[in-house]
Amino acid sequence: MSYSSMRRSLEIVLISAEGLKVDRKPVKKKTFGVVRIDQEYKFSELDQQGGSYPVWNQKMEMEMAINGSVRFISVEVKYRTSGGAEKIVGCAKIPVTDFMGGFAPQGHLNFLSYRLRDEHGDKSGIVNVSIMVKPDGTDIKPSSSLAVATQDYAACSSQANGQMWGTRKTSSSMAVTAGYGGRVVTGVPVLTTTRSCLVVRGVLPSPWESGSNPRSA
Amino acid sequence: MGNCLSGDVGGGKQAIGGVQQRPTSTTTNNAAHNDAVDFFFRSRGQYPLFSQIELTLSASNLIDRDITSKSDPMAVMYLRKKDGKLEEIGRTEVILNSLDPNWIEKITVSFQFEAVQTLVFHVYDVDTRYHNVPVKTLKLKDQDYLGEATCVLSEIMTKPNRSVTLNLAGNFGAGVTRKLGTLSVQAEETVASKTVVEMNFRCVNLDNKDLFSKSDPFLRISRIVENSIAVPVCRTEVVDNNLNPMWKPVCLTMQQFGSKENPLIIECFDFNTNGNHELIGRTEKSVAELERLCLQKEVANFVYPSTSHGRNKVLKGKLIVDRFVEKVQYSFLDYISSGFELNFMVAVDFTASNGDPQHLSSLHYNDPSGRLNSYQQAIMEVGEVIQFYDSDRRFPAWGFGGRTADGSVSHAFNLNGASYGDEVAGVEGIMTAYASALRNVALAGPTLFTHVVDKAAHIASQSLSQNNPKYFVLLIITDGVLTDMASTIDALVRASDLPLSILIVGVGNADFKQMEFLDADNGRRLESSTGRIATRDIVQFVPMREIHSGQVSVVQAILEELPGQFLSFVRSRNINPVGAPPAT
Repeated sequence: MSYSSMRRSLEIVLISAEGLKVDRKPVKKKTFGVVRIDQEYKFSELDQQGGSYPVWNQKMEMEMAINGSVRFISVEVKYRTSGGAEKIVGCAKIPVTDFMGGFAPQGHLNFLSYRLRDEHGDKSGIVNVSIMVKPDGTDIKPSSSLAVATQDYAACSSQANGQMWGTRKTSSSMAVTAGYGGRVVTGVPVLTTTRSCLVVRGVLPSPWESGSNPRSA
Repeated sequence: MGNCLSGDVGGGKQAIGGVQQRPTSTTTNNAAHNDAVDFFFRSRGQYPLFSQIELTLSASNLIDRDITSKSDPMAVMYLRKKDGKLEEIGRTEVILNSLDPNWIEKITVSFQFEAVQTLVFHVYDVDTRYHNVPVKTLKLKDQDYLGEATCVLSEIMTKPNRSVTLNLAGNFGAGVTRKLGTLSVQAEETVASKTVVEMNFRCVNLDNKDLFSKSDPFLRISRIVENSIAVPVCRTEVVDNNLNPMWKPVCLTMQQFGSKENPLIIECFDFNTNGNHELIGRTEKSVAELERLCLQKEVANFVYPSTSHGRNKVLKGKLIVDRFVEKVQYSFLDYISSGFELNFMVAVDFTASNGDPQHLSSLHYNDPSGRLNSYQQAIMEVGEVIQFYDSDRRFPAWGFGGRTADGSVSHAFNLNGASYGDEVAGVEGIMTAYASALRNVALAGPTLFTHVVDKAAHIASQSLSQNNPKYFVLLIITDGVLTDMASTIDALVRASDLPLSILIVGVGNADFKQMEFLDADNGRRLESSTGRIATRDIVQFVPMREIHSGQVSVVQAILEELPGQFLSFVRSRNINPVGAPPAT
């Protein structure tokens, strides 16, 4: 594997926080968030009027090594004092397994929330983020094994409901990269006349992914 | 609609009543029109014996419980159940420093034509230190009590103007009679509508109302209903110290604005901390007229109602609509009919706490005469409803907490006894599998939900990775005493971001406190042992005894939260019905 395939780019949106507290009192100052992956970090802008319920909705593109060296992403919420100093409200650690592997398929837009804790370990609020692991367009992988793929296909073609995949009829040949890991397979043949379960990620986004919708085409 | 208070700004300056879709919202106070129940009845040629009603509350002459300022009132509505207990239906927002509040947040209740529904309203003065807290999580015993009123829902509905004014009463010690003011309730039927308009408002040249600084303006939009009563539907946030303010987009549903021709009153106020918001100017425009303003880049002049001459004074201040977008907000049925599939899974409790199946008292009682036991009744009644919404009527069916044929206790075994293949066909399939499991499985323990929840989550995540437009519902039928509360919560939190809902049906008369906790309807989100917090509420708890005592119909109970949970998943991801044009 090349170096590039050992890293994945993440699309992280620092959405908001709830019930922020410092010394058990609601935060009234302007707050911002910091996302750290390994040595790299990114800031959000200051929330101007949310107080202890700030809304940032700040999108951050970050890269993460997927060789197992990174096990957590950390999110810190800080506030700025009137003197300009930055003080911490609380910190949360997001296990990588919460958005990669486990129940989260690749390309899934994960909405995640975590308890923030301050330096003393006391609860200081909740932070809401969304994380999407961008599909790696360079290599195409089967959905774990060919046996599973054919089984899926059978399950799908048995569905009588024709309209469901209607808009996808046009794609002539598709392959799937739904799984994690596995061998590189090119050109899994799919009939055009029937429904296809197999879709190239990155070519046609999943209906469960956010933003672009294949059916809008 | 109901979740706008979470973006709170200190001092009651936040926007109220606009539509926001936040994936992490847990409030269900003001859920949109539930079309799932309606459709179930209509498809069988029946008419549901209820309709959904939205109540707008206002009060006047409340008593003052704050020393330095006026009361900060909030109203809570309850339904009095048959046993006399009060069940909370919803809360309004807190209005700062007002003895004559007009609450904007509506409370939705289903009006059952054949039942006597006694509504109880409690009004509280919310302490200043709770003003940043979402209202749903407020502890009412910490708040000052301002009085209560009672009426029967049908009493409001039969009035020609559909509104009543009630005298507030309260217990303030023996012999003390005080005038506590009045509470008015205005009822309207909810409409199933998909239209949502989003507008960006801005004003120029507003009058200055503050002495040492500029005005702090906000807009309040009201709709005129029958008898020219104006019902406030939404309010923007306050822009500090600005005579040319620009507000965040305002989003209104058809439910809020009525029809495009229905006139709306748009008032601009100067925010005052003491609650005396001073009117800067007002104008009357329908949604259609606002659209025209935007298209033709025209402005609307504010007027100031004059009391002396009966003629209004036209002001310099102008209202501008910078953006007008009409959106479609798809309903649950739109998704289902377009090909989104609901898939149900069933898990039945086989723990010893249900009682020996040979004994009459057991919930699993194996009646030789063939009479249905509590579990069978629940499967039949609930199954009929879920079968209607399940696309293929094939249910993976499991049991948990039983000792299977191989002698070990399993927390997720196939109900049909097969070692491979857990699917059964239809309600009859579940019943047959249940009967065979009862013969072959010995009741054991402990009661663990974790395995079935994880199994369901695994299926949902598999489907997600295959891009299937499917949504899953795990139905757990249990007597409700849970051994692994902590790890069940962990499993539910892990599953909360998947296309999955969990419907827990409680049989018997055990204490269902744990189940109510998992349901998280009090606005608190489930928190796992590792500090991860549930993205959304995916659990709904339905006690069968409430259905059997006739308090709610089985259809309503089961479909109460499911459409909302489904919509929170698809909307947060901008997923549209199959083949539909994008919503934005």
